[in-house]
Amino acid sequence: MTARFQFFLVPARRLRLALLLLGVSLWASPQTASDVQALISQGSQALEAGDFAQAARSFEKANALKPANREIHRALMMSYLQGENFVQAISTGVEAVQRWPRDPEFHHWLGMAYFQNREAAAAIPQLQKAAQLAPQDVDVHHDLALVYLDQQQYPRAAEQLEKVVRLRPRAALDHVLLGRAYQNSNRSLRAIEEFKTALRLEPALPLGHYHLGFAYASVGRDDEALAELRQEATPAQTNPEAFYQFGHTLLESGQWQEAVTALRRATQLAPDHSDAYYDLGKALLLAGQAEDAIAALQRAIQLNPQDASAYYQLSRALASQGDQAGAEQAMARFEALKKSQQATGGMATGRDRK
Amino acid sequence: MNSRFPNAGLAAVLLTAALAVLPLAWGQRKPARPAPIQFQDVTRAAGIDFHLTCGGPEKRYIMESLCGGVAFLDYDNDGWLDIFLANGSTVGDLQRGAQPNFKLYRNRRDGRFADVTAKAGFTRGCWAFGVAVGDYDNDGFDDLYVTCLDGGILYRNNGNGSFTDVTAKAGVSNGGRWGTSAAFGDYDNDGFLDLYIANYVELDLEHLPVFGSSVFCQYRGIPVSCGPRGLKGSRDRLYRNNGDGTFSDVSEALRIDPEGHYGLGVLWGDFDLDGKLDLYVANDSTPSLLYRNQGDGKLQETGVTAGVAYSADGREQAGMGVDSADYDHDGLPDLAKTNFSDDSNNLYHNDGKGTFTDLGGPAGFGPISIPFLGFGVKFADLDNDGWPDALVANGHVNPQVDGHAFGVSYAERPLLFRNLGNGKFAEIGQSAGAALRLRKVGRGLAAGDFDNDGNVDLLVSNLDDSPQLLRNLGAPRGKAGHWLRIKTVGTRSNRDGFGARVQVTAGSLTQAGEVRANSSYLSASDPRLHFGLGTAAVADRIVIHWPSGATDTLQNEKSDQELVVEEGLGVVRRSAPPTPARPAGPRQK
Repeated sequence: MTARFQFFLVPARRLRLALLLLGVSLWASPQTASDVQALISQGSQALEAGDFAQAARSFEKANALKPANREIHRALMMSYLQGENFVQAISTGVEAVQRWPRDPEFHHWLGMAYFQNREAAAAIPQLQKAAQLAPQDVDVHHDLALVYLDQQQYPRAAEQLEKVVRLRPRAALDHVLLGRAYQNSNRSLRAIEEFKTALRLEPALPLGHYHLGFAYASVGRDDEALAELRQEATPAQTNPEAFYQFGHTLLESGQWQEAVTALRRATQLAPDHSDAYYDLGKALLLAGQAEDAIAALQRAIQLNPQDASAYYQLSRALASQGDQAGAEQAMARFEALKKSQQATGGMATGRDRK
Repeated sequence: MNSRFPNAGLAAVLLTAALAVLPLAWGQRKPARPAPIQFQDVTRAAGIDFHLTCGGPEKRYIMESLCGGVAFLDYDNDGWLDIFLANGSTVGDLQRGAQPNFKLYRNRRDGRFADVTAKAGFTRGCWAFGVAVGDYDNDGFDDLYVTCLDGGILYRNNGNGSFTDVTAKAGVSNGGRWGTSAAFGDYDNDGFLDLYIANYVELDLEHLPVFGSSVFCQYRGIPVSCGPRGLKGSRDRLYRNNGDGTFSDVSEALRIDPEGHYGLGVLWGDFDLDGKLDLYVANDSTPSLLYRNQGDGKLQETGVTAGVAYSADGREQAGMGVDSADYDHDGLPDLAKTNFSDDSNNLYHNDGKGTFTDLGGPAGFGPISIPFLGFGVKFADLDNDGWPDALVANGHVNPQVDGHAFGVSYAERPLLFRNLGNGKFAEIGQSAGAALRLRKVGRGLAAGDFDNDGNVDLLVSNLDDSPQLLRNLGAPRGKAGHWLRIKTVGTRSNRDGFGARVQVTAGSLTQAGEVRANSSYLSASDPRLHFGLGTAAVADRIVIHWPSGATDTLQNEKSDQELVVEEGLGVVRRSAPPTPARPAGPRQK
């Protein structure tokens, strides 16, 4: 089993135990019981080996022999989920929650099957039901929170993650997720506290300082932001976002030359990062390197031709070089793009479209 | 891989996917020590009894969120600043024809004010927004222009404590438009103040847009009052003073605001130092405008190329209040503009080539404002150290935000920026006295030394609330910086001397200011120029460049006094700092 299915590791162990406990005594006909037991054994071994298709076939046969058995349903659903056969997992899950409506695990898994099948609207009620039936199950709250995060329902995600950190207070990643949920629902001060907690629990948490720095920057605390972001911008760092955010904050705080260095690194790590090229161009312009700024901005435009801001910046850069015709052309494109963009609310915030 | 929601490493993916989100939150730091600038709310002690009415508490209509003009003015020419407060109304009162009145308070010179509204004889009221102050007829007494939901009123100061409504005669009714900020300035240097009026949206009171009814009536998905987007903008007006008590509307001829932006803040200023007043207009949700005075009676709009129309990234902002000062003493006047929450306030540094660069971030002025919705903004040297500080009055427009975890609140504290003298500001509001820690729905803001003690005080209007007269307590005895105040009296130039540029050199520091009253949001401030001199007991050289082109030069003037300088005559009066009989509030020990 690969790490990508980590979500199901714990349920899988539980499932194996449940299947073991089933035993032959449960079966009325010894022959049927023996067949079912053999199929369960095959299915379990296939699950262990990561052959989810084989596991599904074994459990389908077992289910055909004993269609009303809850644990076989569970095993079958697990096989489908692990095999990324979400349509079958949903079908099995729907049947299961009808048969066993008080079983929180079926609701939980059905919710996740829907979610994996890009049916978040259907996933949420199943996960909510699971959370209602098993309020102490930290995984259910966690997964419901992840769905909310995916749906950008950050206050609801935060609500679930608050339960998660109450039930499991020492998992750093949970605090990071809660911090992100706070951050994205405009509660940056709470986010800062969660990121700090995460770093206390796991000082080497990947991107931990990045998140904390991001949160500081979002409330204008640039000095503190830079202190955090600087810790992520190490030679060993390979995440371009770490350098981008560091460079962006340096740029915002007027440290243009250092911003150029960080943003150049971001563009090396992510050559298609249009925002990094945009900021690089802006930083270069402010640092008095207009020619290089023009090149960076032209690259930003190449990567994102709909970015009106890049044309605006390019126009200023060209004007600073005395290229009035070019500046006017870029400004005309800027104006045209702006006209084509829809307003997003009653009052502009200056960040409407970024 | 499914880029929207891969099932690989779900949490890690979500973490990295969330990087581009723009977060907002309420961010405040609590400094440990008291700031060197301290304010005390002396409103009640000063006898100011005023409640700003502006629609209902739910703010279901856009005009209910934008009232609050205030003015420091010396209407009786006694050398002491008086106070004018514009008041709004409610939709119901307006439909019933009830006429609210403004308030005029006369400075009693003892820290208290007397309500002289009745004597002032304001015969006509309106749902008022802004107030502009200026001596349009050069009779030596400052007049008032009040902007209204349906036009405006010019009150001529009769010189005897009363005012006369001369709107119709003067021809400055603003045609029933919803005016916000207005400002007097002599753009054609003919010695008579002209009048610019920012107009906001066209609003039909019989068919007001329904609360929450469209995408333009929502804030982060919750229903709020509609606009300004989705509503038709109202074109600003420029009235040229004919010099005979009348004005001519030159908006068409000068191509003023042909697109009808949502005007909110107005500032006259000579930004290119060519001796002719330019004009900056902060617009809501649309590009702001910079009119460069070409000197031939024409104005050319250059906001975009100058870099002051948009944010530093070329985005529209909800511009509210504006002010100007040379905050870094490079000899060029810079611009500040307040904006909506989720956005940075701008500090447009004047680059000297007709262009500006928003240095709000590097200066520590912009990002900290992100959770706040700024309105009034004023530069003033509040600690007399020779460097202009700044105050920003904040308050959201939608009370509905309080029911949600958006990280912004309806009532907000003001932001007080102390100029560190190195191009940067430190926000010290939370340690500058209890009054600045209070959350209010701030709007108008004016600055002026109402008690003539050498410390610049502040006046803030608050929606549906009392205003705050904030007395600057100054530095403790022995640590206070020196200062010099200059009142200009024009002879060839307009009588107020609006547009005069004054340079003061004391020791190694040369600073400059421009005479004006109208700036900030809806408000008018003390037109006397106040210079903090720090440790310098003498101003070595003072040069006054008058709008007429004349120059007066003064040498070796002692600090801590007010000089009244008349064009061509030099100092005609000196006023030593008074010993107030009874200050309105105790000085900090």
